Amino acid sequence: MTTPPIPSLEALKEAVQQADSAETLLRAVAALAATADPAAADTLVDVLRFNNPGAAVAAVEGLIAIGTSAVPALLDLDASNYGARAWAVRALAGIGAVEGLGVLEEALATDVGPSVRRAAARGLGQLKLDTLVPDEGALTRERCLMALEAGATDGEWVVRYAVVVGLEALAQSAPAPAAQQAAIRERICTCLSRLTDAAQEDTPVVRLRATQALERLI
Amino acid sequence: MAEAPPPGSGAPITEDEALARLRQSDNQGDQYYAAWWLGRMRSQHPEAVPLLRQALAQRHQGVPGSGVEHNAVARNAARALGKLGASAEAAIPDLLITLDDEDDGLREAAARTLGELGCRDAAAVIARRLAPGPAVVGVRRADSPRLVEPCEAMLEALGAVGVNSPGILAVIEPFLSHERPLIRSAACRALLQLSRDPRWAEPLLELLRHPQLQVRRAALMDLGAVGWRPALKPIARTLAENSLKLIALRGLVENHPIELESAISTGAVLAVMDDLL
Repeated sequence: MTTPPIPSLEALKEAVQQADSAETLLRAVAALAATADPAAADTLVDVLRFNNPGAAVAAVEGLIAIGTSAVPALLDLDASNYGARAWAVRALAGIGAVEGLGVLEEALATDVGPSVRRAAARGLGQLKLDTLVPDEGALTRERCLMALEAGATDGEWVVRYAVVVGLEALAQSAPAPAAQQAAIRERICTCLSRLTDAAQEDTPVVRLRATQALERLI
Repeated sequence: MAEAPPPGSGAPITEDEALARLRQSDNQGDQYYAAWWLGRMRSQHPEAVPLLRQALAQRHQGVPGSGVEHNAVARNAARALGKLGASAEAAIPDLLITLDDEDDGLREAAARTLGELGCRDAAAVIARRLAPGPAVVGVRRADSPRLVEPCEAMLEALGAVGVNSPGILAVIEPFLSHERPLIRSAACRALLQLSRDPRWAEPLLELLRHPQLQVRRAALMDLGAVGWRPALKPIARTLAENSLKLIALRGLVENHPIELESAISTGAVLAVMDDLL
């Protein structure tokens, strides 16, 4: 019995660069992404520039699977390519590396694309704070919380929805010292309560999700 | 499209300024923007609806090649009224008359708005216009790629206003075999919304796998508008932007009739939404 030869990483990267149709590109990106090999990160970041949503989704999945070692390539991305940057925010949000904090803060506060602000809000709730020493963890958590509190008044419902999801995740992330923890929870619950109130939040699905988050936290 | 601000007029204005711009009639660009603004901001100012009714009665030729559409002010006024909820009720008689306007773009805007306002009286008028069937009112106009009637908007409005009678269903059904997938999608949406008969969901679920992205997007929006919860997994799997899937899933949460049991809970829909953010 023979098994087909496993293509080398170089061959998989080459296949992505040579793909001549949306379908072959998608297959090639998915194959490269499945390796989760840090050496694939540059090519996967390249794919984010192709303006091909299917391939970009596969590339983002691959970058998230690679994890922290994909972060430098993502942070290097050309800021003028709006579509690519949007996908990079999504990848950084999924990876949860603390190095992405600045990009996520800026994206939630200023990006013109609701889909980018939405991804950033989710990402700000799931940074891996437990990789930091306690002081840095507290500072980072505070920055995430401030960014999400500000995002709670975003004009787009889907961003506020993502803020709810981000706040819930932040409340459940690595515990801070008890005194801080109580204060943080209180701020998160205050913010969520506002989003459950029909007088302040006009989108039913946001109110429902905020109610669900509060029920889980209390 | 009705949500998009007119190009080049992004400066923030106040409600008073919007009302003043709509009240004057020398500058149609200002009126156009003001009408959009009042809808976008869901103005509840007592002057908003009377001014929008006046604007709805204005007729202007479009300027070819300028990007200014025919009856632009009236069309935006019609669209804005759809955002104002109960306070727009005073404008319903005007909107019903507008369904018979000679400008199909204005008929389209009026149909969508009457749908948004849930105006049951609109069903009979729209059904009368669609009654000749797809071979008559669903064919391309000689002078543009548009159809004789704005079928998509009218079918969607029939679903939205909710008159579930055999006569209305019989008007909609022939459009299920229209050559344009977007029209078929709108017909399924309306039938599903009115009857909640699962057989009308099947074609919509199939359109989620249509080779054209534009068609898959329309089917997503249609399933969301109906709040068809059995479509949860097919929506999540559709090859389209997460933004559109999230809008469709919001529809599954908000538009699912409360009185109906569903095997798929609100929590299940929210969990899928969380994964798409």
